[in-house]
Parts: sequence; C-alpha cells; structure tokens
Amino acid sequence: MRFPLLLAFFASLAAIPAVGQGRAPPPETMDIGDEPGRVSTAETVIEDGPYARQMVFFRTNEPPNTLVIHTSERFLYVVMGNNRALRYGIGVGREGFQWAGLQKVSRKAEWPDWTPPPEMIQRQPYLPRFMAGGPGNPMGARALYLGSTVYRIHGTNQPETIGQAISSGCFRLANGDVIDLFERVPVGAKVIIRHGPQV
Amino acid sequence: MTIRFVALVLGVALAVSGCASLQETSDGDPASGASASSLTERPTEITREMLIGRWGVASFREEKDRARATAQARSFCSRQPYDITAGPRNGVMMHAADDPKLYELRLKGASDGKTYLGFEAPPGDWQDRVILSASNDQLVMRFVDPEIHNRYGTFIYVRCK
Repeated sequence: MRFPLLLAFFASLAAIPAVGQGRAPPPETMDIGDEPGRVSTAETVIEDGPYARQMVFFRTNEPPNTLVIHTSERFLYVVMGNNRALRYGIGVGREGFQWAGLQKVSRKAEWPDWTPPPEMIQRQPYLPRFMAGGPGNPMGARALYLGSTVYRIHGTNQPETIGQAISSGCFRLANGDVIDLFERVPVGAKVIIRHGPQV
Repeated sequence: MTIRFVALVLGVALAVSGCASLQETSDGDPASGASASSLTERPTEITREMLIGRWGVASFREEKDRARATAQARSFCSRQPYDITAGPRNGVMMHAADDPKLYELRLKGASDGKTYLGFEAPPGDWQDRVILSASNDQLVMRFVDPEIHNRYGTFIYVRCK
C-alpha cells in the first residue's frame, strides 16, 4: 500500500503551476513533490556518470560564482572563470513545470523546514502540517532560495531522482552536492535558468 | 496487501486525561522501542476524550526544533487543522502512517508504563504510536516502528482554541 501511495505522491504534488519566462511566479507553497520522511544522509553525492560533480569547459561571459542552470541538460554550472565551470547533476521540474529566468540567491538555509502544500495535505491527510528540517525532510540538507519565487535549489532525500524531471519546478541536488554548492555560492549570486531544447 | 502496509498507520492521538498533564516518557530511542508482543495491557490515565477535538500538527526530530514545531502546529489551527473524532467502538478516528484512510484506533496502557495508540493488537505493536506526553492542550507522540519514526519524527499536536 505504501508504494502506490508514494507514486500517487509524485503524480500529485503539482501545486506550482508552470511559469513562463517573464511571468509572475505564483504564491509560495513549498510544493516540491517529494517523499516526506524518507532519509538521505548529508554525505550522499552522485559519484559516477554524467551527473557526478566535475569541472568542465564552459564558455561564458558571466562572472565567477554565477549559477547557470540548464534544465533540459539536467546540469547546474557554477562559473569558475577561464571558461571553466563546476558542473552538478540536478533534478528538474517535470513537463509543464519547467521555466526560465534570471534570479538571484536571496537566502540560504541549512536543513530547511518543509511545509506540505494544502493540495498534498488533502491527498495525504496523515502528514504533519509542518516538518522541521532534518534528514527525512524532502528539502534535503540545504536550500538556496531563488529571488522571491517559490523555487529553490535544494537537496533531496531521493538522490536517485537526479537527472530526472519530476519536481514542481525546483532544482534538486544530492545532499552532499548541495552542501558543496551551498558553501561555494554566496547570497546575491546571479542565477540564470535556461530552458531550451537539448542539443 | 500485507498487514504491514495496511497498517502503517494509524495513528496517533493522544491525549491525556482530565486536566492532568502526563510527563513525557524517557523513551527517546525508537530503536529500543517496546517489543510489541512482550507487553501486556494495563489501564491508562489517558482517555479518548483527551484526544478528541481539533488540533494543529507538526513534527520535529531534534529537541532544538521542538518549540518551533509547537508554534508551527498552533499556527496551522487556522489553516489546516486535524480533527480527531470519536469512533464507534470507544476508540478515536485517526490516520495511520502513509495511509489516507481513517481507522478507529484505541488507547492501550501497557506494562511498561506507557500508553500506546493503535489497532487491536498488544500494546507496543509496531503500528502503534507511543504517547510521550499528553495534556488537554498538547499531545506528543511518535510511531513505534523505527523506520516510520525515522521518516516523520516526533509529532506535536496542539489543541486549537
């Protein structure tokens, strides 16, 4: 019974509507479409394959510490200068929940709290209305808030979803990777979210 | 569907009797939770009337978050309260973990001095919740099953005024 319910979870947590470039974001709901309570440790990183954290060639005119998110590639780049960037594998919004825009990191939080959106509570009335931050929290180990939008770059208690498009518009990294990112990127950093066809 | 899946649940509720406030038990380690089958049932001071009502609900894992979770639970009284109602067999209607259906759960005092809330099974059953503290205004409980407890943490129920 539990697993079908969790699948329903994934299918249902879509309170954040799609946001096109330049459109005003919806009210904040903290809907991130995850599996509350599941535990992933802070040490979890993507170690192998294309989604493993790695230094790559990256041609750009953006200054160091700029974040560039390529939704269709499932990569987040931290510009390092000299046409290099540190690349992280990410999970992105599912179809209809992907977006593009220019934001800044407005706030950072360690082990952020999580508030299930009303739609989730309706479907899963057994959930606490507020879950203090911790290893079982779907927001994961760290969160970087994007401007005043509902979206965040955050950790996850489901590292196997890195590389997939299942969220409600947030960008997720394995906990160990988001901790690494958190320590590199200051509040105020520029964030460019690109949403284009995969090359 | 297995009993485990069906059950995952229920939960919780608790409340304590009258105006009395039961002290929080020392059972802080879910891994050492009672072995379900080894406990015998005893009377409990907690009554179902202490559980029935409208509550704000939040969870926390670390003691430093308790006060914040309590305040958050209170704040959800006006937004998304949780109603515990009387069941037809002298229990209370509540949810179990991971299951959106309501079940009738009953309070079970146990030979370890604790009070459990759960299905018809010996107190301390893995599907039970153990009541850590209870008063008319606040209930604190957690799931006996370490895996469920690990996922959800400790629940605080604050009675809505």
